[in-house]
Amino acid sequence: MTTVELVDAALPTAAPVGSRRRAWRRVLRNPLAVMGLFVVVVSVLAALLANVVAPTPYDHTDFSAFLQPPSPAHWFGTDQLGRDQFSRVLFGLRASVIVGAMSVALSLAIGVPLGLLAGFYGWLDPLVSRLADTMLAFPFLVLAVGLAVILGPSLTTAIVAIGVAQIPAVIRVTRGETLRLRAMDYVAAAVADGASDAVVLGRHILPNAINALIVQATVAVPAAIIGEAVLSFLGLGVRPPTPSLGIMLASAQADFRDGPWLAVFPGVSIVLLTLALNLLGDGLRDALDPREVRR
Amino acid sequence: MGRYVLRRLLESAVTLVLVTIVVFIGIRALPGDPARALGGEESDPATIAAIRHEYGLDQPVPVQYARYVGKAMQGDLGESARTGLPVAATIGHALPVTLQLALFAMAIAIFIGISAGVVAAVRRRTAAEWAANSVALIGLSVPNFWFGLMAVLVFAIAYPILPASGFVSVFDDPVESFRHLLMPAVVLGTGLAAIIMRQTRSAMLEALNADYVRTARAKGLGGGQVVLGHALRNSLIVVTTIVGLQLGALISGAVVTEQIFVLPGFGKLTIDAVFTRDYPMIQGVVLVTATAYIGINLLVDLLYSVIDPRIRVGGLKL
Repeated sequence: MTTVELVDAALPTAAPVGSRRRAWRRVLRNPLAVMGLFVVVVSVLAALLANVVAPTPYDHTDFSAFLQPPSPAHWFGTDQLGRDQFSRVLFGLRASVIVGAMSVALSLAIGVPLGLLAGFYGWLDPLVSRLADTMLAFPFLVLAVGLAVILGPSLTTAIVAIGVAQIPAVIRVTRGETLRLRAMDYVAAAVADGASDAVVLGRHILPNAINALIVQATVAVPAAIIGEAVLSFLGLGVRPPTPSLGIMLASAQADFRDGPWLAVFPGVSIVLLTLALNLLGDGLRDALDPREVRR
Repeated sequence: MGRYVLRRLLESAVTLVLVTIVVFIGIRALPGDPARALGGEESDPATIAAIRHEYGLDQPVPVQYARYVGKAMQGDLGESARTGLPVAATIGHALPVTLQLALFAMAIAIFIGISAGVVAAVRRRTAAEWAANSVALIGLSVPNFWFGLMAVLVFAIAYPILPASGFVSVFDDPVESFRHLLMPAVVLGTGLAAIIMRQTRSAMLEALNADYVRTARAKGLGGGQVVLGHALRNSLIVVTTIVGLQLGALISGAVVTEQIFVLPGFGKLTIDAVFTRDYPMIQGVVLVTATAYIGINLLVDLLYSVIDPRIRVGGLKL
């Protein structure tokens, strides 16, 4: 009995944790990734603390100052109703951040277990893979639009629509990693040692598949943020009066001539946030995936 | 080879059947009564019942599904609830608009993507690589609908040199068609250009380090010949696949682009159908999109297996 436990303890389950710490150090040595990390942290804090940081509440109207160009009093100008655009961008970022985080969490919560099971149990694979293929047969926006129509437009709808649309990619990545890891000697050793399927999947396969999932998430989060803006822009996501950068851009179209700044700042904010996320994601990918480093 | 083709064909068929079921059930899960939407809010119960009967909505769901699939296979996708015109014909009218837009965008994306990718791979650690990488990163980070709005703001309002909206077919007036499609195509193509650029760059870097390129250099071939004739040619295999797989992104992008530039294409048809709850139209649009997408994926897979025999050896599953 004691020998069995010794063998168990010798299985290399701790390896990914140490390599992940090294990966972080590599990210922090990459100036572009650090810049991205800084912008992401500041944006997330500003979004979550919008009601403390913003100069005015998002629905505060001032009819004496409508359609004002950017000025020291209103950094991003004001809209048709005299609402401070800087404040509204901060509150709009909140919707972006919430949808970005929640939809990716949703896709991981459903996609990872499905991917693990499909990769581990051969008989489940055709079923799960056909399910993923069926979902992939709908272009992202068609799927998201369909779900948004079924559920009715709201913040939750945007989260569900984008999260569901991202499930197939998560299934594919997790399944692929599970197939690869299942063939490894240390997994065979764990099985021979009498480890249950749950232990093999949860302790030996999942921790080693996490790097691939992190890389996948670095692509998924900015895509989700843009997805929220697109859905809200089309009127299928967040609904007014809740501010969203997509809604702000949609309503800016009416005042293109009189208030071009209305279309500029919400867009620049989305671009900065997604650019920062992409820079951070590239840094993480280079640090986690040795193949990329060689290039 | 035959077995691989057969397996992929079967898989695609199963996916297609699943798609029709999802579309069929999805439409029925929508809020609102389609019979009421067809008859108008004011119509009396007798009219509603008549409409139900006419469209077979009073039949059991499996019967409705069988009827729907049977008709769809004959090219009959029903009539639009909004205009009363056949769905298939309406889609037939909208498709050329989207195809012209998509082909133009694809051409722009391939041209920019491949040339920037080659430059970035060949001129490593120079300003050219840095510029190409930055442009690709921005292309991936700028949402195309905002890029579209900015393009309209600059080129149609501040400096009115291009029309902000509308469509002219290339077959009616090539010059006007070019003017109308230039902005939408550039807007739609940039995201794809960035993806192609990155793929070309990494495929080229790999190819340039490969033994056959070293051999070609050793044989005394010039730099340009090696880069274009050997490395790029082999990199194009990867790029071809990516272009095929990006079709879905292109369709999604077209929906938004057509909305901004008011182009009467497939994407605008989709959004209009969704907002007017035109169920037969939504069904038709989604079915056509999914079928096209499955078909293209199958084609890409089969082409790829011809190019790279390792793919069809059962053991390698990607």
